[in-house]
Amino acid sequence: MIPWDKLHGATTHFPIALLLFSTLCDFVSVTFKKLPFARGLRLVSFYGLAVAALGSLGAVVSGIALAKGDLWGRGYLGWHHRFVWPAFGLLVALAVWRLVVGCEMSRVGTRVYLILMLLASGFVAAAGYFGGEILLSGSGVP
Amino acid sequence: MTPLEIKGAVAAVVTSVVILVATFTAGGIYRNHRGGETELGGKPLVAEDLAAKGRGFFLRSCAQCHGRDADGGEDAPSLLNLQISGAHMTLVIQSGIKGEMPSFSKKYDAQDTAAIVAYLKGVNKSGVKPPGTHL
Repeated sequence: MIPWDKLHGATTHFPIALLLFSTLCDFVSVTFKKLPFARGLRLVSFYGLAVAALGSLGAVVSGIALAKGDLWGRGYLGWHHRFVWPAFGLLVALAVWRLVVGCEMSRVGTRVYLILMLLASGFVAAAGYFGGEILLSGSGVP
Repeated sequence: MTPLEIKGAVAAVVTSVVILVATFTAGGIYRNHRGGETELGGKPLVAEDLAAKGRGFFLRSCAQCHGRDADGGEDAPSLLNLQISGAHMTLVIQSGIKGEMPSFSKKYDAQDTAAIVAYLKGVNKSGVKPPGTHL
């Protein structure tokens, strides 16, 4: 019997942390673009986002197994999923876009990208919050 | 936006949609594969069994004070409109309330307590009693 609850716990936190850190690095590099390490921060955010997207695949697979294939659910699980799926879709899309474009983004491209990164971070944070509520409420999944 | 960014955006949207569709398809197949473990309503038997088991524990240890239908007794309040989380219920069952309610930590382990909490959550959902409740 595979301990999906432990695997899900082990695989979710890295993508969450990496996405939030990547967003932070992007914002700092854009806000302080004249700093000597601004370009370095953009590289860090790029690799952070790529690893977060790859890691999210493991988190999603273990989550689906843990919820026994229930992709929506009710209560906290339902709220968790309402935020997880948009976050997952956005994370993959943003990672692919960065892979294609690299660090050379136009001004408009950068703005759109940062807004979407902020949105993805919000979705991921909310999904993580409701994931924690599932545990703390003692209700388990499902 | 540059042509490369537009090309990247198209690739991003296509990849994201393909991965989401694949995920939902795989999830659906996995859910159907496990269909034998659920009843016609699609609700997992595990949750129903847990609440039914909790009902048994409740009748054995809690009903004496809180009433057979958890609607309160002479010495203890009703549990039908609880505004506390499952974690809080677990804490009260395990630790008790000084001078008012005994601790049940020695009688019920974490799994048993989760069953009682599942039952109490069931009776707290708009008065609808969970499956396994026949009284």
